Amino acid sequence: MFLKQIDLTTALRPSYLPDEDLLFVQDNVGLYEGKYKLPDQQNGQVYLTSHRVCYVDKAEPRKYSVALDLKDVERCEFYAGFLKSSAKVTLIPKAIKRSSLGPRSPGFAPGSGTSSPGRRNDSPIRPPPVDPPPASATTWVCTICSFSNPVPSNFDPSTANAHTPLPPCLTCGIKPTLTHVLKAAISTAAGRQPGGPVLQTPLPVRPRPLSALGGSHINEGSGSAAPGAPRPSSALKTSDPDASFQCPRCTFFNHPSLLSCEICGAPLISHDIPDINQHIRSETDSPGPFLSKPLSALPPSLDSPHNSQPESVKVSFRGGGEKIFYERLKSSMTQRKWLLQGAPPIPKSGDGLANGTGSSSGPGGPPERVKIAGIAGLEHRGQAMRKNNELVIGNAFEDLEALMASAKEIVALAEKFARQSAIAGDPNNAFLAESVSQLGLITTKDIVGTSGTSGSNSLYLSELARNLAEFLTDDSRGVLRRAGGIMSLVDLWAVFNRARGGVELVSPTDFEKAAVLWEKLGLPVRLRTFKSGVKVVQGRDRTDETTIRSLLAWMKDLHEFPPEREVEWDWREWGRGVTARDAAERFGWSIGVAEEELEMAEERGVLCREEGIEGLRFWENFIDTGEGKTMPNPAQEASDHLIKAMKDAGMI
Amino acid sequence: MSTTTPFFFPREYSFPPFFTRQTNLTTHHAQLIKWAALVLAYCRHHRLFKLSLSSAISDPLSSTAEPTSDTTASDLFHNRQLNRRLSLADAREVLDFLRRDGRVEPVDGTTGDVVWVYWRTPEEWAGLVEAWVDETAQRGGVLTLYELREGDATRGAEFHGMDADLLQKALGVLVKRGKAQIFGQEDSLGVKFF
Repeated sequence: MFLKQIDLTTALRPSYLPDEDLLFVQDNVGLYEGKYKLPDQQNGQVYLTSHRVCYVDKAEPRKYSVALDLKDVERCEFYAGFLKSSAKVTLIPKAIKRSSLGPRSPGFAPGSGTSSPGRRNDSPIRPPPVDPPPASATTWVCTICSFSNPVPSNFDPSTANAHTPLPPCLTCGIKPTLTHVLKAAISTAAGRQPGGPVLQTPLPVRPRPLSALGGSHINEGSGSAAPGAPRPSSALKTSDPDASFQCPRCTFFNHPSLLSCEICGAPLISHDIPDINQHIRSETDSPGPFLSKPLSALPPSLDSPHNSQPESVKVSFRGGGEKIFYERLKSSMTQRKWLLQGAPPIPKSGDGLANGTGSSSGPGGPPERVKIAGIAGLEHRGQAMRKNNELVIGNAFEDLEALMASAKEIVALAEKFARQSAIAGDPNNAFLAESVSQLGLITTKDIVGTSGTSGSNSLYLSELARNLAEFLTDDSRGVLRRAGGIMSLVDLWAVFNRARGGVELVSPTDFEKAAVLWEKLGLPVRLRTFKSGVKVVQGRDRTDETTIRSLLAWMKDLHEFPPEREVEWDWREWGRGVTARDAAERFGWSIGVAEEELEMAEERGVLCREEGIEGLRFWENFIDTGEGKTMPNPAQEASDHLIKAMKDAGMI
Repeated sequence: MSTTTPFFFPREYSFPPFFTRQTNLTTHHAQLIKWAALVLAYCRHHRLFKLSLSSAISDPLSSTAEPTSDTTASDLFHNRQLNRRLSLADAREVLDFLRRDGRVEPVDGTTGDVVWVYWRTPEEWAGLVEAWVDETAQRGGVLTLYELREGDATRGAEFHGMDADLLQKALGVLVKRGKAQIFGQEDSLGVKFF
């Protein structure tokens, strides 16, 4: 089973990896593993992204939502459905490679933090292919005598610190610095990846004695296998004498029985790792050769773990949309966007400016920088950067292909420009520009499934609602926080559409409908309608009571602090009237919202109004002091007085 | 008729929103109650029996015209210190509220610009007069209305200096009860108590 649990956003959508794009959403789907339905994943939405297929459960989204990486998918099949059986898309996982390719998959190499492996639902039998880098294969070059020393087998770059004992150089006996060894270890670990296929040369299968390892200690086993030289030697007794063993360092083909390279002396132990894995499997499975054979005799429950091939996963489309899903799945499998992750930037064409800069960070060759200093240097640098930008843009727009190739750079550039222009402008613009760059949230009508006329629309709306909720609650953007925790729907609509950068705008009708859905979907924002019909958006935790409390606290403050100018009344007793503008300033609300909030408080009898030449002002309600009902106020007032007196006396 | 002691306005009188009609119904109700109490207390203090709404509201330009007539209550609806005043409509609403309570009555028909303010109702006045008559043993005697209002004998009684028309109303109550009889001409009315 290659499904993993996933993290969800506040709006109960999968949180996307960097560079991940949403391609398609369809609701009313269920999951199968092999032939069997997964009991907890029978009604939910499937999100197809450029990297993953995510399933978000409708009833228990936080518990049962899963995803599978497209990079683990070998191929997909389409089943159109028949009579009562709904259409399905089958995702067949890649056979788990226990070979040396395993550690080379980008996810596991130390130092390449590309995709987070996440929590895996692996069955215990299938070990997560976390192989420690074959330690003895790495070498560090002595800085004194430039001899290639092997990095000690127990040296782990991730845990090494200053106290890790390091052996001295074998030739000259000078101890290396920790950083030096660390660098060497990491660079070899990283460098192995591209060089991977070289090591994949057909190797003879080297069966190993069964006693060598306990079944479950693969990780320790492989780690300890490295120093234990005798073990490989026994393993190397192969039946095929022609098989040669390529040296990982100098690529010389050695005799398989050799422990170290004849030419460069590099140890040849790393090849043993696939061997161990194979061995484990064969041990748990059957003492046969590696070729995994389906054990049809076993019951299915036992079959799946024992079979090296994990079960395929089927996505059953009960509400339609399977065709588009399949099309987009196919295209994203072809595009293989996940490979682009962390890929080096496109090499620049041979121009003088970009030479010598492996990354896009530093334009201008190093020698130039050395020559020119001071203001002239800065100017020169600026000029070089501008020229570089010009070049990048020019190249990119030459033709479509080039544009696609340099898309990443262009986007980065555009963002930079946007930010620069925003700095010149008001902060609001900056905030918007920021939003645009962060918008990974394109819910378009195009993306969601088109099962039926009404059904698809509701899915679009619910996606839009989630989208909006994410937009609102995103901490980095802080849309809601900036607006004092409450903002009118119209404002939100404007901000949201502006954040979309003018494409795929949302119609007011859809927007309103989506906002109404928040309540139903259990999202952390809510739509509130004021008495006057103004609709506002606020966090779920914000209620009228909290607003009133803060308003009252403010009113109390006004008794304490003298107003700016002389007033005719006794401000110590009555405080001061506030306008909607004052409230808006005080709480960061928009004026419309402030008006509504004040009126709400008035409606509740907390405030009262005063209409004058200066406009409408709101006061603490001293008119309705509870006549006709009980008289709770004298006591209250007395205590207030007491508190006030104590405050005046400086006791509080 | 002027009084020496100044009228002490209630606390709310110096609260600016008190002069604005409240939209919240409960608050509005409380506001009306407070205004009604204020109007009655004010009139009682100043011994105002009639209130002319238009003159009370539309303050004649300056305060010079203040003591023109006894129906003026220029500072009742107008707080000069705060520079706040109750609007005509709102004052009318207050009086209307009092009318429903039986404390205010239009003086002439339905136009309602000048109203009686019954900080004592005619019945109460009648009771007072009757009690006074009993006390002074004037039962069976005949008094003019002028004597009742301005005579030395009634000095100290509450209805001394009372509005003539209102006194007539009060006596009318007594007549109805069969306790008195009014006779005489327009200007020289007399009353006989039984």
